Amino acid sequence: MTMATVETTAPSSKPVKLRNHAARDRLIVVAAWLAVWQLTSAFVGAQWVSSPVLVARELGQWAQTYDIYQHAGYTLLAALLGFVIGGVPGMLLPFAIRRLPFVANTLEPFMVAGYAVPKLALMPLFLIWFGIGMWSKVALVASVSFFLIYFNTMAGIRAIEPQLVRVAEILGANARQVSRMIVFPATVTFIFTGIRVSLPLSIGGAAIAEMFSSNVGLGYLIQMSATNFDPTGSFAAILVLAGLVALTNALVDRIERRVQAWKPRANAFIAEGIAP
Amino acid sequence: MTAVADFFEISNLGKRFPPKDGMSATWILQDMTFSVRKGEFLTIVGPSGSGKSTMLNALAQIDKPSKGEIRLRGQVISDSSDRMLQPGWNCEIGYVTQEDNLLPWRNVLDNVLFPLVVQGRLNGETRARAIELMAAVGLKGFESYYPHELSGGMRKRVALIRTLAYDPPVILMDEPFGAVDAQTRISLQTDLLNLWQTGRKTIIFVTHDIGEAIALGDRVLVLTRSPARISGEFPIDIPRPRSIHDVFAMPGFPAIYKDIRSKVV
Repeated sequence: MTMATVETTAPSSKPVKLRNHAARDRLIVVAAWLAVWQLTSAFVGAQWVSSPVLVARELGQWAQTYDIYQHAGYTLLAALLGFVIGGVPGMLLPFAIRRLPFVANTLEPFMVAGYAVPKLALMPLFLIWFGIGMWSKVALVASVSFFLIYFNTMAGIRAIEPQLVRVAEILGANARQVSRMIVFPATVTFIFTGIRVSLPLSIGGAAIAEMFSSNVGLGYLIQMSATNFDPTGSFAAILVLAGLVALTNALVDRIERRVQAWKPRANAFIAEGIAP
Repeated sequence: MTAVADFFEISNLGKRFPPKDGMSATWILQDMTFSVRKGEFLTIVGPSGSGKSTMLNALAQIDKPSKGEIRLRGQVISDSSDRMLQPGWNCEIGYVTQEDNLLPWRNVLDNVLFPLVVQGRLNGETRARAIELMAAVGLKGFESYYPHELSGGMRKRVALIRTLAYDPPVILMDEPFGAVDAQTRISLQTDLLNLWQTGRKTIIFVTHDIGEAIALGDRVLVLTRSPARISGEFPIDIPRPRSIHDVFAMPGFPAIYKDIRSKVV
């Protein structure tokens, strides 16, 4: 759909209507999914696939005993620590080597190789180096988010229009000002893409790391419940994990919208019928 | 050349790009010698692809000349030696490029103030002057708009004011009013003439539009197709202050237009 058609249709009421539609449609999908799950459970047996009712009851109980907050908090803390410890250097390194093409060029194949290594394969080593406590989980998450943020930031720096830098130099900006006032703001969109990709993976990564060796955390809870033949517990913990991801995603959305307030809203370029 | 040192002098300027894909090195500019007096509005007209932008890039110190010298107030500021390029020569040479190159994440006011901020010269006085300049070209009320919210003509005005705001002694302009409609173009030319009339900056204005070159300039230089050489020089003695509409109606206009056209090959 083109911009013109968007403008000619009633501008104020239409998007709101569509939004309500989307919310209603999504509710229908959720309801259908829950119904299928409940039915499957009735036929196959709740001891295998649990059921929405059982999971809801379990979540309700957890909410009262406060254990779940400890598990979720542990996983979230490991994820955020790893995300920051890996992500901040991943973001800064491209800026540091931006003006040293020789260094960037030398590093390139190693970075690609590092990115390609399945990080989960490093987990046994992390356990040797950092012990079975939280730091081995943090290390796994950091190794994942470092490369994702690095490559996205690098892509942003490569995408900068050289004439913007040139004009800034002519207008009197020195190298540091060019970095801070041209290169950085031009790269912010890409950094956010990196964050958006790596934050969910950080949370998931922390949970998976807990399955190797831990006695606390959502990953541990999923693993433990399954070991005890309690699919209800596993499903409930997975839902909490998904909720954490949704929550942090919404937070990143909000921050990005504030930081990038100057940008034309992306929705304006997506067909109205598809976007919420 | 006159005996008195001119303000901004270009002598024997030549530019050659290195050989590529089996092609031998070609000269884009050759034997360019001209000078600009302080406060003069010089226009340079040449066909598209004649190397006008290449010349301005050398003058702005974005590119190194392959030959020749560029002098400001008698001092050599750029030549083919190993000396470092200093884009804009310490903010003494402004450059309004073909594309407006506004910073998309800064609003209109912050774009205009950008050079003053990075040069550490933003104070009450310079800020007031910038705001005054913006008002003079109808940007008042648009201060908090972002570039993508403006029309092409408005963006050109912001780019122009951004350079005027920090007051460089020499301003280079590379077809700054190229990609706008005829009506907007006339109004931009009018704005530029008014601003120049009050400030009397030294301007080198490059265009492929002969009418524009005559209407704006004190003097018109004509360039040949590549390699670009100067093929003619025409003083324009239309009295100032000028009005763009009147210039085209002047009795002498068609004759000089024809003269210049015969030199633009």
